[in-house]
Amino acid sequence: MSSRLEADHLYKVFGRRSKAAVERLRQGADREELRADGTTAAVIDASFTVEPGQIFVVMGLSGSGKSTLLRMLNGLLEPTAGQVRFDGQDLTALSARELREVRSRKISMVFQHFALFPHRSVLENAAYGLEVQGVPAAERRERAATALELAGLAGWEKSWPDELSGGMQQRVGLARALATDADLLLMDESFSALDPLIRRDMQDQLIELQKKLKKTIVFITHDLNEAMRLGDRIAVMRDGRIVQTGTAEDILVRPADDYVASFTQDVDRSRVLTAGAVMDTDLRGDEADCSCETAGPDTSFVDLCAISARLSHPVAVVDKNHTLVGVVPRQRLVGFLGDEQGTPERCPSPRGEEVTAGA
Amino acid sequence: MPRIPFGDWVNSAVDWLLNHMAWLFDFLKTVFSGTYDGIDAVLQAPQPLLLAGIFAVVAFWLRGTSAGVLTFAGFAFIDSLELWEDAMVTLSLVLVATLIALVVSVPVGIWAARSDRVSGVVRPVLDFMQTLPAMIYLIPAILFFGTGAPAGIVATLIFALAPGVRMTELGIRQVDKDLVEAADAFGTTPRDTLLRIQLPLALPTVMAGVNQVIMLGLSMAAIAGMVGTGGLGGDVNEAIGQLNVGLGSEAGVAIVILAIYLDRMTGALGTQVSPLGRRAAAKARAAQGLRIWSYRPRPVVAMAGVVVLALVAGGMGVFGGAGATSTASDGENVGQGKKVTIGYIPWDEGVASTFLWQEILERRGFQVETKQFDAGPLYTSLAQGDIDFETDSWLPTTHAQYWKKYGKQLDDLGSWYGPTSLELSVPAYMKGIDSLDDLKGQAGKFGGKITGIESSAGMMGLLKTKVLKEYGLDQEYEVVDSSTPAMLAELKRAYAEKAPIVATLWSPHWAYSEYKLKKLKDPKGAWGKGDGVHTLSRKGFAQDNPVVGKWLKNFRMTEKQLTGLEAEINKVGKGKQQDAVRAWLKTNPGVVDKLAPVEGSASATPAEAKRPLDVAWFPWDEDVAVTYLWKNVLARRGYTLNLKQMDVGPVYTGLASGDLDLNFDAWLPYAQSNYWEQHKNDLKDLGTWYKPTSLEIAVPSYVKDVKSLSDLKGKSKTFGGRIIGIEPGTGEMNLLKNKVLPGYGLDKEYKVVDGSTPAMLAELKRAYAKKEPVAVVLWSPHWAYSEYKLTKLTDDRKLFGEGNTIRTISSEKFPDQYPKLTEWIRKFRMSESELGGLESEIKRRGQGHEEDAVAGWLKEHPDMVQRMTPQ
Repeated sequence: MSSRLEADHLYKVFGRRSKAAVERLRQGADREELRADGTTAAVIDASFTVEPGQIFVVMGLSGSGKSTLLRMLNGLLEPTAGQVRFDGQDLTALSARELREVRSRKISMVFQHFALFPHRSVLENAAYGLEVQGVPAAERRERAATALELAGLAGWEKSWPDELSGGMQQRVGLARALATDADLLLMDESFSALDPLIRRDMQDQLIELQKKLKKTIVFITHDLNEAMRLGDRIAVMRDGRIVQTGTAEDILVRPADDYVASFTQDVDRSRVLTAGAVMDTDLRGDEADCSCETAGPDTSFVDLCAISARLSHPVAVVDKNHTLVGVVPRQRLVGFLGDEQGTPERCPSPRGEEVTAGA
Repeated sequence: MPRIPFGDWVNSAVDWLLNHMAWLFDFLKTVFSGTYDGIDAVLQAPQPLLLAGIFAVVAFWLRGTSAGVLTFAGFAFIDSLELWEDAMVTLSLVLVATLIALVVSVPVGIWAARSDRVSGVVRPVLDFMQTLPAMIYLIPAILFFGTGAPAGIVATLIFALAPGVRMTELGIRQVDKDLVEAADAFGTTPRDTLLRIQLPLALPTVMAGVNQVIMLGLSMAAIAGMVGTGGLGGDVNEAIGQLNVGLGSEAGVAIVILAIYLDRMTGALGTQVSPLGRRAAAKARAAQGLRIWSYRPRPVVAMAGVVVLALVAGGMGVFGGAGATSTASDGENVGQGKKVTIGYIPWDEGVASTFLWQEILERRGFQVETKQFDAGPLYTSLAQGDIDFETDSWLPTTHAQYWKKYGKQLDDLGSWYGPTSLELSVPAYMKGIDSLDDLKGQAGKFGGKITGIESSAGMMGLLKTKVLKEYGLDQEYEVVDSSTPAMLAELKRAYAEKAPIVATLWSPHWAYSEYKLKKLKDPKGAWGKGDGVHTLSRKGFAQDNPVVGKWLKNFRMTEKQLTGLEAEINKVGKGKQQDAVRAWLKTNPGVVDKLAPVEGSASATPAEAKRPLDVAWFPWDEDVAVTYLWKNVLARRGYTLNLKQMDVGPVYTGLASGDLDLNFDAWLPYAQSNYWEQHKNDLKDLGTWYKPTSLEIAVPSYVKDVKSLSDLKGKSKTFGGRIIGIEPGTGEMNLLKNKVLPGYGLDKEYKVVDGSTPAMLAELKRAYAKKEPVAVVLWSPHWAYSEYKLTKLTDDRKLFGEGNTIRTISSEKFPDQYPKLTEWIRKFRMSESELGGLESEIKRRGQGHEEDAVAGWLKEHPDMVQRMTPQ
């Protein structure tokens, strides 16, 4: 779990004279200017670090360059400029053969459309990476079967890919990626082609797996909800540039610009926000002194609402040491949900009930 | 617009290739013919029904019970049509072509799939190969590869390569990009990506390509029949040539059966070998449970099984089919005191030779009487048997009319002197080889080959049947029949490479000024003279007096000898000729022994018979008759004739290149003059065996008032202004257009319709059935005259020229290779009634029974064998 992935000022420009184009981009040229010359800047000056065991989500609309970025991370595409460092190795400096070696042992990939080999059985598909590594057949079968089991496909080894549903196929894809024991997992919109229910299952499964396996994962998605759900850290891309990198809450609560903000409008905030983000830290000190239910900083917004509904006063937030760190009045919950955090105005002709009155 | 000499460029390119790339073509030829021979041997060896059974088993494995049954029925049907051997030849050809096509096209397809640039280059080349009319590369193919299987394979290959490349490329490009990327993402090497992902997934498409290759190959096989590959293509050609719809459809149906079989089998194989197909099959099997009836082996097992079965079958055929050739030898006895009468015309050379022989024969103990005649009476006496032989017949030209009249009652013992010379020549850089004798033991140097010309050329016959034998070269050397241009091309090529070559040539010939060549001396005088002075004998003289016959046949005089002897005789004056001869013999010691050797010369069954002869024939009645006649007769003398049915052009090319030995049906000097002129330097004319023939325009006899060409004048409306012609460019057509029609003032009125012989015959048949007036270009003898009532339009102004004679032509080397046979062929004659009788016998027995017909006919003509091949 020592892997650490670092992208350092990555550029990818398609078309002629790409190096010159990078130079112009560095000097502040616009993507549109380049397009007029027939070159396409897919990724512009992308830098980020992925810590071991993290799920790093790259989020962006189609055409934002996220898939290109991902393919530079394992060398499927060669960066026009910049470096990718993984495990202390500069991937951009490797020969094609060394790069293949790295890909076969340390980095594996899960694809949007599964990319299962139709002429191989489920087990053979899962064992593919091991076959490339040259693992003996018996061991290969064993490890592939284990990976399939992890992915929840035990018993399907002898089936063929086209006999499986989309979700199951992607589990095969996942098993294939897991079987090689690669530290870094690149997932390219891996769940986008699945229907919403299956997608959620798969997300849950990935989260479960990640708890066990603690891989370093770079996950590409165009779905901010998915990004928020999976991502320890999220990079938002727009027109080839990373416009913001941060936690889900950072993105949601402190969007870097209007673009990110507009993006977050549709997000189901209740799924992302936690007590830590919502709580008011302006404390009197005795809010937790009663024996009422309290919340932790990680308590989800939904749970917080539930607690708040059971209490007649604001919910106290305490950390692991039972020290009071914040308090969440009901007004604040409603405000965060509606992205409206000012103090409520007085009603000019009150009709008896305060809004804060408990239900 | 300036004329772009594209054709010249191509010609020089072909020349260049011949000169510089010969090694490559030789290599390819070796590969092609080796593969072909191997496959053909395996396919021909087993009993037809056994092999049909094997095919059925394959079909059963691949497709199931009904396919197996139908396969067996189909192949049994082919067998019952007596087309089995031909079908297997075609099958071998297609299999070899397919095999080679795949070896070439799959890698090219892969390459093209991986590189857009390669794809961009390959695509137009494929278009070119697929659309270029086959005839255009069929003829050069003969130049490069000779006639027969290799040329056919090349033609098929060129045509069938394209789908293989295209489908391979398409198949690989069709493989989902995601899958390739996935393979890449897991660190697969490009090679493994190809082998593990792309090719397996492309396999169904590739197999569809294989299927196309086979189908196109089969369709091409018919066309390849024109270059003598034989097989069903040959049958189709023959049927077309004879307008024989029956045989045509038989061969056609056989091709269709082969095609359907191969199509279904490769289709099924495609499903079976493709991983997806095998998966489906495996699933179906799992659902049914394992039963023997539905057992289908994996392709590897199936392949192994088929190979084992084929080997077993082949082994049975090979071991069961051992044959033996018998040899016979004839003894030699020296007749003493026998009376011999020599007739002569009082011309210098006649006198000289006659008295020389009188002296020689007397020295050998014969009683010799000489009688002087005029030419006419001389022939009459000879024909009546009053005299035994004469030495002064100017043939074939001067005494043609006598020969025509009496030829049947005479034996030609060959020419002993002529103004023109025929010879074998080698480049001057061939040190130590100055005469034909020097060739002995040098076969290795020359690859055992003598580059000949058209096998029809008299020279070739002479070479093969006489010259080679006399120098004992017949076993060592193979005379390669080809054409004069091909021989010259070969010579040019060899000369450019300074490679050893021995070619048939004659003087005068420009080749001698073009290259430094040595005429190989012919000390034994084995070469006959084209229009030389012949010794003729009464019929049977040589049989009665084999020794003298042999001496006379071997009789040759050089110009120096003859002029010397003539001078000697002139010196002493009339009445003392024999004294002069004696005086001359004193100054020319050894002549007697040379001309009339007493010892040795034990003539055995021609060793030359060891090598099978490739005889090309056209599907024309007279050629069928004469070819099968020779086949039968020569079989009795221990020769093997491989008959190859071909088109005229390829025959000449094949003879010229030396791939063919003989053709008995050269219509010269007019009808095939264009071919002859082109190739004559590489061909030998072995002389006329049938005459007269005529070229003419014929109309059905129900067209009244048209009896001669002049009658056509003003009647163009009757005939729609058309004269139905044959292949444009043939001698007869050129003659008609350039000479005959203008000569009769018909050129404005009539248009000669270019077409083909079959088309002309079809048109004639159609018009005849409807009793419509029609004028067609025709020639005699032709079966159309017995089939329909036709009027030959008389040619009062003789513009069609004298008739052709039907000659035997051979490759240039042939006379060297087969001296004995050449001799026989040179003396071979057939009368109209003989030929007509034989033709009708063959017609009566029907297609496929030619050999029976000939055997039957020979029973009625018991003297024929001895006449054709005197021993």
